[in-house]
Order: sequence, then C-alpha cells, then structure tokens
Amino acid sequence: MRATRQPGKRVSFRLRENMQLYLIMLPVLLHIFIFSYIPMYGIVIAFQNYYPGKPFFSFESANWVGLQHFIDFFNGPYFGRLMRNTFLLSFYTLVFGFWVPILFALLLNELKNGIFKKFVQTASYLPHFISNVVVAGMVLSFINADGIINAMVKLFGGESTVALNTEPGYFPAIYTITSIWKSFGWSSILYLASMSSVDPHQYEAAKMDGANRFKQMLHITLPSIRPTIFILLIFAIGNLLSANSEFILLIYNPMVYETADVIGTYLYRDGLLGGNFSLGTAVGLFIALINFSLLYVANALSRKHSDYALW
Amino acid sequence: MIASLKRNPNTIRQGSVVVDIVLLVIALIICFITLYPFYFVIIMSISNPQEVAAMNVFWFPKGFFLGSYELIVRDTKMWWAYSNTLIYVSAGAFLNCLMAVLGAYPLTVRGLIGRKWVVGFILIPMYFAGGLIPSYLLVNQLGMYNTMFAVIIPGMVSIWNIILVRTFFTTIPEGLKESAFIDGASHWQLLFRVVIPISKPIIAVIAIYSIVAIWNSWFDALVYLPNEKLHPLQMYLYRVVVQQSVDLKTLSLQDTRNAVENMLSNIQLKYAIIVFTTLPVIFTYPFFQKYFIKGALLGSLKE
Repeated sequence: MRATRQPGKRVSFRLRENMQLYLIMLPVLLHIFIFSYIPMYGIVIAFQNYYPGKPFFSFESANWVGLQHFIDFFNGPYFGRLMRNTFLLSFYTLVFGFWVPILFALLLNELKNGIFKKFVQTASYLPHFISNVVVAGMVLSFINADGIINAMVKLFGGESTVALNTEPGYFPAIYTITSIWKSFGWSSILYLASMSSVDPHQYEAAKMDGANRFKQMLHITLPSIRPTIFILLIFAIGNLLSANSEFILLIYNPMVYETADVIGTYLYRDGLLGGNFSLGTAVGLFIALINFSLLYVANALSRKHSDYALW
Repeated sequence: MIASLKRNPNTIRQGSVVVDIVLLVIALIICFITLYPFYFVIIMSISNPQEVAAMNVFWFPKGFFLGSYELIVRDTKMWWAYSNTLIYVSAGAFLNCLMAVLGAYPLTVRGLIGRKWVVGFILIPMYFAGGLIPSYLLVNQLGMYNTMFAVIIPGMVSIWNIILVRTFFTTIPEGLKESAFIDGASHWQLLFRVVIPISKPIIAVIAIYSIVAIWNSWFDALVYLPNEKLHPLQMYLYRVVVQQSVDLKTLSLQDTRNAVENMLSNIQLKYAIIVFTTLPVIFTYPFFQKYFIKGALLGSLKE
C-alpha cells in the first residue's frame, strides 16, 4: 500500500524485504532440510545392502536389492508377533483410553467448587510431567514379585506372588493402564477448552425447557466438543501402528517379548544395535506408510461423514 | 427473570445434592489414583529400611531414615549427570526459543513470496519422517556421535513450537508493525525490538515446554551417547532404576561398613533416587502449570 504510486520502487522494496525475511528463516529452513529431509532421502538404504561407514548419498557404490528387505521382514519369524503386538497395544489404549479424558472433562465441567476443581485438575496433570524413565521405574517396582501390587493382592487374601513383569499375559494390561494413567488428565485440556466456549445461554434455554444436568450434558456439552473428539480420533487412528516404543523399551524384558515386542523396539534392538540398517529402515518405512494411509483414510471418512477434518 | 426462575420448584432437581456428592467422590478417587503412587514412593524413600523391605509402609512413613539420600548425594556419577542435564536443558531451551521465533516471524508477514511453499516445507516432516536409522546415520556422518551436540542440535527446531509462536504473532496488531516500519525499522529490528519484547508469554511457554521435554528425555542419549560422562540425568536413572546395572550399595564400599549401611535396601535406594531427580519438576510444577495450559490451548487453535 505504501508504494502504490511508484510501482518500480515497490518491486525492489518487496524483494529486499523478502531477502530479509528469508535470511531470518534461514537457520530454521536449513535445520529442517538437514535433520528432516536428508533422513527422508536416507530411506533409499531400505532398497540397498547398506553397511556402516558407507555414505548413503552415493549411488555408484550402492548395492541395490529392490524390495528384498521388505520380503525378508514379511517372511521373518517375528513379523506376525510384531504386527500383532504393535496393533494390539495401540488398539487397547485407543479403545480403553480414548474416552477417559472425555469423561474426565465432563466430570470436571460439572464440578462447581473452584478451588477443588483446580486441585483435581492439577493432580490429574502431574503424571504427564514425570519422565518415562521414572514412571517405568515406579511401575517396575510396583509389579515386582514383592512389590505393592502383590502386597495388596495378599492383603485381600489372594495368593499371587508371581512377578507380574515376567508373565507375558499381564504386559498389555500393565502398558495400557500406565499409558492411560499418564495421559488422561493432560488430554482432557482440549476438551475442557472447547467446553468453556459454549454459550451459557444455551444452558439457560435448556433449563427452561426442563432439561436436567444429565440431559444438558448430553445435548449441549457433548455436541459442542464433537469437533475436538473427531480430530483427536483421527490422530489416534493415524498412530495405530506406532505404540509408544520408547516406554515399552523401558518396561519390557526378554521374558515378555511374546506380548511386548513391537515394531519400534524391534527396530531399535535389531536394526540399530544389531547393525541391520537396511532392514531396519525398510521396517520403519513400511510402518510409516501404513500409518499415513490410516491417517489419510480416517481423515477422508471423517470429512465425508462429519465435516471435521485435518485437511 | 432468571433469578425468579431459580426459585421455581421445578428446577430444584438441577442442583441435586446427591449428584454433587457422587461427582465429588469420583473426583477424589481420581486424585487418589494419580497422586498415591508418588506419595508411596516418597514415604517408602524416607521410612525405616526394614519396614520398607517388609512392605509395611502404605499410608504413613514408618520410622524416619535418610541414609538412602545420603548415599545418593555422595555418588559423583549422579552429580555428573545432573550437571550434564543442566547444560542440555539451558542450551536446548535457548535454541528452541530462538529457532521458534525465527521460524515463525516471517510466516506472519503478508508480503512473503512463496509463503505456501515454505509452510508446506515446514509441515511435511510432521506427517512423514525418515525414521530412526537414517537419522542415526546422519548424526554419525556429521561427526556428532558421542558428543553433546548429538542431543542438542537435532532437536533444536520443533515444528510444533513454530506453529505455536506463529499463532501468537498473528494476534499482534498490524498497526504496531506499520508504525515501526514508518519509523524506518527493518524486519530484524522489528522482530527483536518490537515483536519479541511483547511476546514474552509465548516465549515462556516454549521455554518451559522444552525445559521439561529435555529434562525428561533419555532416548537420544541412549542412541547417541555411549560415553557415560555425557549422560543426562534420565540416562543415569535408566541405568540405576531400569537396567539395574549400577549397584548403589557398592558406592559406599570404601567407607566403613556400619550397621546402618547394611540395612539399606536396594528398593529404597531406587525410590530415593526417583524422588531426588524428580523433585525439581514437582516443585516447579505449580509455577509453570499455567504456561503449559496456555500452550496447549494456543496449539489447539485451528491453523
């Protein structure tokens, strides 16, 4: 607007301005290029026989093997177990955990006493701030043969003195419960935020129509947070094949691999520690592609049927 | 009119006391579930070791004993790890804030040529990444493996933070920027003299987000730092609490073995070390909580 009377000057001003702006962004753009895009290019080693020390930029020395590593993974002894565990652990957290923050937010919304409400909220966030290592350390000592869980079982007359962390059957429950415990309070923030934007007049109107608290919740509060629910559900579905392997790595052990070993932990153990870089990259790519397709499908379905979508 | 309605007998059930009591009880149970594990760890860490070993401590500390803490405080490896974490946290938080501001500001300028492309370039890595092994090989080839840079540099740009700061910047009135331009300011001057000073709230949010994230992180160190001297606190915890590769009891072997030290139980040492390394987070938590919530809410705004 400043220079509409002098078109020539405006162009040079715009160019200079843009040079400045790009200079400001340069460190960020460079960083993203190096640490996000070069690793994406690095995926090419999934189609090669890569050995450590060889640069993955060079095409001449590359030993192309096509889809061999994918085929090896599909036919490998762990494929079924890994896919099942990865899917199941995320599925459990989704099915048993997704609605917990919603219910919790509804509960908080109904609490009238300000100070008490704050206290409950603060208490529920706390686990979110504690590191995975500490949570894992706590969980491991609680489920130990002489940990508090077994002590409680005995207190109520049970006989169980089994170490829960050596019993594959218990792992999914331990993982799911801990995940929900760690995140439900924090996840409820977004729901609470969208509840607080509801017009109070709606509640007044509903009251006049004779709606009780439960009905107000069902017909006003819940519909008003529906967009948030849908968006978070889409994200959760997009992560169905990425169980929290950083946390599993902390609480699992070889005795429970049967139900605990997931793609991420296998990738770390066999791909990184075992030096199978090409196979590991292939596995990572396979999962990333499935996750992205799931996200895409969930988003498309949601946009078609409910108008809520990420893009 | 609403006031008169409130006295209407029909609306008495709105404020049913029974419902309120039920809600209150449920809320108290939830508080118990989230807080009790921490409380349990604390009372176990200060109780008499014999009671701890016998699993007799449930509600209140039994006896009083700080020997476990004494032993931990004497461990030089723990202090190494503590000071490393301070380095990682301060460097990481500073770089994160700087990069978020530098990345976000140009995106809010209307005349930016190729804005769509830049936004795409920045957002794509949120949905698709190269993965663990290509990143590991890259860090290796850059010569950062087993140096402090490996856990500082790759994480210094967070796309999420850029979005947060950008959202905040768009709320700054255009008129403020215009007047700075009329006074002859360049974008650099505008950013550092006008925009950053009035963006302290969001910078605080970013700083706290990164501080907690870095304080709690361990996986990068596991992958990139075989040298124990460079390990952050969480890796030390990992070795002691999860891998149990450090036997704390041997730390005091050179001391005269008195009866008290023989009483130490390993489990109590673990609880004490959890308390000792988590304390800073717990203590500062009430202060930074409001910033956290602010960040979460800003982040939830639709692009």
